[in-house]
Amino acid sequence: MTRLPKGGLINRDTRLDFTFNGRPMTGHPGDTLASALLANGQHLVARSIKYHRPRGILSNGLEEPCAMVTVTDQTGNTPNLKATEVMLRGGLHVTSQNNWPSVTHDAGSALQLGGRMLAAGFYYKTFKWPRDGWHKRYAGIIRRLAGHGQIDPSADNALYDKRHRHCDILVIGSGAAGLSAAQTAAHAGATTILIEQDHVLGGSLLFSRNQIAGELAADWANDAVEALQDLSNVTVMSRTLAFGQYDHGQILAVESMPADSNARAILWKIRARRILLASGATERPIVFPGNDRPGIMLGGAVRSYIRRFSVAPGTRAVVAVADPDEGEDTFAALKEAGIDVRAVLPPGAAITGTSGRLHLRSVGWRDPGGKRHRTACDLLCVSAGWMPNAHLFAQMETGLQFDGTTQSLLPPDTSGPLRPIGGARGILNTADCLTDGKAAAHQALAELEMHKHLNLPRPAATPAAPGFDSGTGKAFVDLQNDVTRDDVALAMREGYKDIELVKRYTTLGMGTDQGKTSWTNGVLEIATQSGRDPAEIGHTTYRPPYSPVTIGALIGTETGDEMVPIRHTPFHRAFERMGCVFQTSGDWLYARYFPRDDETMQDAVIRECNAVRNGLGCVDMSTLGKIDVQGPDALEFLSRLYCNNISTLKPGHVRYALMLREDGYVFDDGTVAQLGDDHFSVTATTANSAFVWRHMTKFAQVDWPELDVTLTDISDHWASLAIAGPHARDLLLALAPDFDCSRDGFPFARLREGFLGNDLPVRVVSVSFSGEPCFEINTPAGFAETLLERVTKHGAGWDITAYGLEALDMLRIEKGHLSIGTEIDGRRTADDLGLGAMVSQKKDFIGRTLLQRPALQASEREQLVGLTPEDGSSPIPHGAVLSDHPISGDGRACGCGHLTAAIHSPALGHPIALGFLTNGRVRTGDVLWAQSPVSGQSVRVRVGPVCAYDPKGERLHG
Amino acid sequence: MILLPCPNCGPRDEGEFTYGGPQRQLPSLDGQSGTDDWLKALFHPQNPRGPMVELWYHASGCEAWIEVTRDTGTHEIIDVATNRLRDDKQ
Repeated sequence: MTRLPKGGLINRDTRLDFTFNGRPMTGHPGDTLASALLANGQHLVARSIKYHRPRGILSNGLEEPCAMVTVTDQTGNTPNLKATEVMLRGGLHVTSQNNWPSVTHDAGSALQLGGRMLAAGFYYKTFKWPRDGWHKRYAGIIRRLAGHGQIDPSADNALYDKRHRHCDILVIGSGAAGLSAAQTAAHAGATTILIEQDHVLGGSLLFSRNQIAGELAADWANDAVEALQDLSNVTVMSRTLAFGQYDHGQILAVESMPADSNARAILWKIRARRILLASGATERPIVFPGNDRPGIMLGGAVRSYIRRFSVAPGTRAVVAVADPDEGEDTFAALKEAGIDVRAVLPPGAAITGTSGRLHLRSVGWRDPGGKRHRTACDLLCVSAGWMPNAHLFAQMETGLQFDGTTQSLLPPDTSGPLRPIGGARGILNTADCLTDGKAAAHQALAELEMHKHLNLPRPAATPAAPGFDSGTGKAFVDLQNDVTRDDVALAMREGYKDIELVKRYTTLGMGTDQGKTSWTNGVLEIATQSGRDPAEIGHTTYRPPYSPVTIGALIGTETGDEMVPIRHTPFHRAFERMGCVFQTSGDWLYARYFPRDDETMQDAVIRECNAVRNGLGCVDMSTLGKIDVQGPDALEFLSRLYCNNISTLKPGHVRYALMLREDGYVFDDGTVAQLGDDHFSVTATTANSAFVWRHMTKFAQVDWPELDVTLTDISDHWASLAIAGPHARDLLLALAPDFDCSRDGFPFARLREGFLGNDLPVRVVSVSFSGEPCFEINTPAGFAETLLERVTKHGAGWDITAYGLEALDMLRIEKGHLSIGTEIDGRRTADDLGLGAMVSQKKDFIGRTLLQRPALQASEREQLVGLTPEDGSSPIPHGAVLSDHPISGDGRACGCGHLTAAIHSPALGHPIALGFLTNGRVRTGDVLWAQSPVSGQSVRVRVGPVCAYDPKGERLHG
Repeated sequence: MILLPCPNCGPRDEGEFTYGGPQRQLPSLDGQSGTDDWLKALFHPQNPRGPMVELWYHASGCEAWIEVTRDTGTHEIIDVATNRLRDDKQ
């Protein structure tokens, strides 16, 4: 055990048990997985992606490139987690990745012997032949050998959610700059949100020995956070990673929930007027030969493990930290932990190599005088400087600029809502960070007019200290992707000189860490090798997420049954009691059929169809869109929108109407009913109701503001039940209407308002989709069940049969009535659908002009026709293609149309179909092939009228 | 997601709106407009990098069509109006 006897922000009273590769280990609340592994003396954590080299823990945060593990808990496996980010919980099972048979004996490590061979692009250059070999042979083997963890294929049962927050000032990060900014904003009365990715607030203050206001930095941070949490205008969120900046001050952040929560993660969408990005800086490793062995750690990480987690990450250390103050601080931390410091490398020294198979054993170095040394050690603390974490800034703004004095990519000053402060703009000294946070917060407050403008000076970025020479030999620039200096050189030699190309050719900066520790080193390496100024090289595009985010959080609750809202009609519960089988239809859960006893669907649908044709049926029509149109210009408004003549309509009359799009194609069909002089009610098809509403409101509000018309969407206000069949009028009379329902008093295509039985308010419309006498009874939605009860009770004498979508569709196909999506598919003119006569020649309307385009008037267009099997009985295959010729030997046939609907008609006793056929109407009587390559069926069909059943409409008017 | 200042509801997230495309001046329905007028209005809108007037329908809000002047390069919202407001200004 390497846990120190005292100190640290861990709770030693509680012991957490976990396993690593099956070995039992222990830790304490407050540990990360990385600190717990180190406390158990486990430095070797993973194998590298390409060469399978042993890798340990380099850092202490989300920048970690090496220590990736698969974590198993009660919810399943999660691969590719950084040990430095995972909060230790009891019962975790942790396994190493990318090794076989084990992390200590990995057969794949033989690959590093051929290190020269496996340079960038090796696989793609080598496995080019045979042509299909990559997919068929190599890819599978190589992907097994090179890669990260395995995804758990079982369904994720964890809970996730999405939530919103709003504030004046959002502070991201809770180090010196963040806390100072949050205090300033909060004390000025701004609504403030402070978010921190870690589970403890304080950032690098947690392992600093600096004093702030006479207190140790960590204690000051703790007091400051407690004081902020007490303020009502402040929200403090820990364990929350801000991963993306979006337009107009929106930040997306993911909160990882603690172990005792019933959710795993919450996605926060935070809208802030100003965002202060205090995400600090990431320490930059040194590139030198053998710089990847377990035991080589960043200086700041070493200080953090010793002081925050109370772990000694080694016994004999060498310090190679560029900044002299940090070097001293690291030395002090090592002494606090009782670690023997064997050497401190002076500036200008060079690390020439390291040794050790699974763990660091010695470091070879050369002092500035040229003298060579070899020092035995098991811990090497490295730091070449710091890189500002301005990623969130760079996602939206102009980008970062390389700065020579700080040797890093710095955010320029801009006027956007997000402002980097403190370490995120290169300020590394605690006192300067406090000053910068306060000054930036005051600037933001002044912009929001919440405080007078103080114009406090902002401190400058901290200049970089002279670094170390980098030596020669196999040195890793990007540890996660095994990209060496030689790979960068190869890319340059082969002409991939642009930074974007270097990235893609070598994979530098890719992967789960997105090059957080490697990127600046990569830029400097390219600059050195090409002799260019690093400022010219620039950087690749920064995109969200800043660090990996679990997909579950992005999905939230929108999965399974919660994927989309499901709409129920007012009759839904009653239909459920009747044993209805439902079907999803757009947003709706719609009645499909009503089986009696053990009936099959087919039997039930035939029975329902027969009831409508011979007796009495009822069907739910509530899903139709219904729009109330009122005003002095209502008639003019509708006349412009519908292509047929509306102006001759009278109060109490109803007309079938067709709406075209601006481009002349048919948009939707429905009915227009006139209720009063300036009062109409129109219907839209279920599928199009939202679109028709939007279409109409746009014309009313935007295009024709001169028309005095008021639109109201009344779709959900009315329940609608159609009673259809030869006894429909008998039933209507039995329902005791207080208006004239005689054949002469209430003929086809009329609307009547009144009461049934003196107490049930209704609007009854005599229109028919089935071709039988039909009355659509509309009643306010709350009366739906009353209406259904009465219809069922009074219709019992005629054996009233509820029918659903299947029967509705059969009945309309028999009549050749149109359906949205099948016949009205967005590519049809009114004439194609056989409705050319409806298009008015006497008025102008939406779609008239562009309908005159030659292609829409051409003679070779497809027209809707009816089809019957030539032999009178062969079933017609669904979705068949119509052709003049049988399919030839090579399986091809030239189509001249296709089917839109095919059924076995219960009323006619034989199969029928609807379809589009080139010049179809003049081909009545012709015999064609209906061929379905899918089912392999070919049937001879005869072209006939669209309306197969009761073509003269005698039943409706008889 | 951009933030649209609805004149009726205040600043609201883009997710509440349906995009209505660039504002178009449709030809009048007096029987005089030709195919070219309509084709130009429907299919050849200006697509500038810079300020553009466009329509947004506040579907999950007040159901108003609002006319937003947005800089397509920066997403800066320069002006916003409903037809009624525009009438009042005149």
